[in-house]
Amino acid sequence: MADPAALSIWIGLPLLLGGLLSFISSGAGDAPPRARVLLVDQDNTAVSALVRTAARQGNTPIDLEEVTPDEGRRRIGAGDATALLIIPAGFQDAVIGTRSARLQLVTNPAERVLPTMVRQMLEVVVEGAFYAQRLFSEPLSRIANAPQSGPAPDADVASIAIEINQRLTQLQGVLLPPVITLSVKTGTPAAPPLNFGQLFLPGMLFMAFLFIAQGMSVDVWDEKQEGTLRRLLTTPQSAGRLLLGKLVAGVAVAAVVALAGLVGAVALFDLPWSRVPAALLWCAYVCGALLAMLTLLHLFARSQRGSEMLSGVVTFPLMMLGGSFFPFEAMPAWMVSVGRWTPNGLGVARLKELLWGDVSVTALGLAALGIGIPAAIAFLLSWRRLRRFAHA
Amino acid sequence: MIDVQHLRKQYGDLVAVDDVSFTAEKGSIFGLLGPNGAGKTTTISCISGLLKPTSGRIAVSGHDVVTDGSAARRHLGIVPQELALYSDLSAAANLEFWGSAYGLTGEPLRRRVAEVLALIGLADRGKDHTSTFSGGMKRRLNFGCGIVHNPKVLLLDEPTAGVDPQSRVRLLELVREQARAGTTVIYTTHYMEEAQDLCDRIAIVDRGRLLAMGTLDELRRMVGEKDLVRLAGRFDSSAATRALEAVDDVQVLSAAADALTIATAGASRKLPAIFAALASAGSDIQETTLSVPSLESLFITLTGRELRE
Repeated sequence: MADPAALSIWIGLPLLLGGLLSFISSGAGDAPPRARVLLVDQDNTAVSALVRTAARQGNTPIDLEEVTPDEGRRRIGAGDATALLIIPAGFQDAVIGTRSARLQLVTNPAERVLPTMVRQMLEVVVEGAFYAQRLFSEPLSRIANAPQSGPAPDADVASIAIEINQRLTQLQGVLLPPVITLSVKTGTPAAPPLNFGQLFLPGMLFMAFLFIAQGMSVDVWDEKQEGTLRRLLTTPQSAGRLLLGKLVAGVAVAAVVALAGLVGAVALFDLPWSRVPAALLWCAYVCGALLAMLTLLHLFARSQRGSEMLSGVVTFPLMMLGGSFFPFEAMPAWMVSVGRWTPNGLGVARLKELLWGDVSVTALGLAALGIGIPAAIAFLLSWRRLRRFAHA
Repeated sequence: MIDVQHLRKQYGDLVAVDDVSFTAEKGSIFGLLGPNGAGKTTTISCISGLLKPTSGRIAVSGHDVVTDGSAARRHLGIVPQELALYSDLSAAANLEFWGSAYGLTGEPLRRRVAEVLALIGLADRGKDHTSTFSGGMKRRLNFGCGIVHNPKVLLLDEPTAGVDPQSRVRLLELVREQARAGTTVIYTTHYMEEAQDLCDRIAIVDRGRLLAMGTLDELRRMVGEKDLVRLAGRFDSSAATRALEAVDDVQVLSAAADALTIATAGASRKLPAIFAALASAGSDIQETTLSVPSLESLFITLTGRELRE
């Protein structure tokens, strides 16, 4: 507490990282990105118009803009659009006449995701055109050959409609009813889905606890360098009591940080106050355990720099694996299966239950033992080691 | 009081302290005099409980430091050679912390902190961070932290190392005040003058062994009335030693190609005979130094080496 800079880093860094990740994930409320596609329609027929219409259908994230060939090439060259689509002259004749046709799509190399999206959508349109060609080539041919001005004669329209109806009747045996039936079951969720902040809060708290444990465990080296550790060991206090004092100090800092986070959760995510005390105790307990384990690491290092490197090498993977950087829900399954058994992973998983879910006393007890036993062993080993460390 | 009997501390094959025994009475200042690496700090570390002796027994006010360590340490105060202060705390906070480590609390602690601040001349700087203090002020505070709980035995491990002369005088006076108040003081130093001026009894240690012990007068008598003659130049050490053996009552303490050290009573009268003997041995004398009997001459007599070598 005497070092406000360290305290602000321990609290601020997880908040900053969490905020950044939140910003990236949510897009900060902005509309999703859209692809700007320049269209050069050199065919200018009913079928090419169908392609235009298909691209504008529904909620496609494509803004289609018709341009001249020169303008299109100039703008795609300047990176002013996602893609340039050229429908060549004779496209309709090719579609109806079952000949091959070549649509030209020039994409912007500076963009990665949107050009792929445009290409995939175009493939869907082309595939649709292929099946339409196979099934309705005759009526489509008549539409294409219809006079360009004025409405089509009623007799032609009726004739085309009858023909399409007959084809559909022929296909009815296959399509209606569909061979594959889709059965949709909507389950009743046990709890409302967690939002981004609720998912991230336990991990962020444990990231802060890892920083606290890392920062405060190196205290034994600071005390050794200042000479105060040797002097402390000449007082009537036992080495165990001195270590316990350091643990209590770490737990107190962790409790303050946890309380701030939990009060934030009450304010922002409607966390019931009744869940705060147990979550607070759990946070303090796990942070104390992490501090005990990291302290032991420091006591076996040969130099302060080495000990800081060692604790960093241990802490950072723990952070990444144990759901303290990304929530388990956003991690690959193999990583989750490993990370759930790390001390902070056990802590994060149980804290999530304490905050937002059903608490299993058995699972909580097992996790407490899983974290507490290694921590107790680390504490006892540190107790034995402290005098030798001070004198080395 | 403090009683050390047959203390031995061994690290593998290295014997840091070998069969050291001494007793220091209440209100006395007992000096451990020896060069760096003599085993003084190891001895202090064993007494303070920081190191476990390989063998031997140490009792502080009747409490064994191994079997009854906590009780023994309660009566001990230690002023380590290196500063041992919390630089991000104020002087008063440091004293409060170390006082509370020995069980002082509340009003008695606050009163004692104020007393010690006044004693070490930092009453007006009590609230300042120690990081703003000069070296001498830090040394005084380091001393204050060792006496804040009114220990019965005070261990001072070279407390004046690297201290300016003014602060050294102040610190030595503080040590005398503690002894006058009834505290048993164990004082290690490699400064002969400090040991002579300060200590009631002195033990001379080197390479882990206690070579001589007694009051200043007792130690001087060990040297006898012999003066110390140091000669610099070019010598055939064996020939020079043989030649000097012929001179009456001359003891060769050390002989090297460029230096000779000899002890003899009434050295000023014997110098012509010494020079003649050395000349006959082919020696070329370039510099001569004559010292009256002192702890330093005793140390050289006992070890053949200078105290500061």
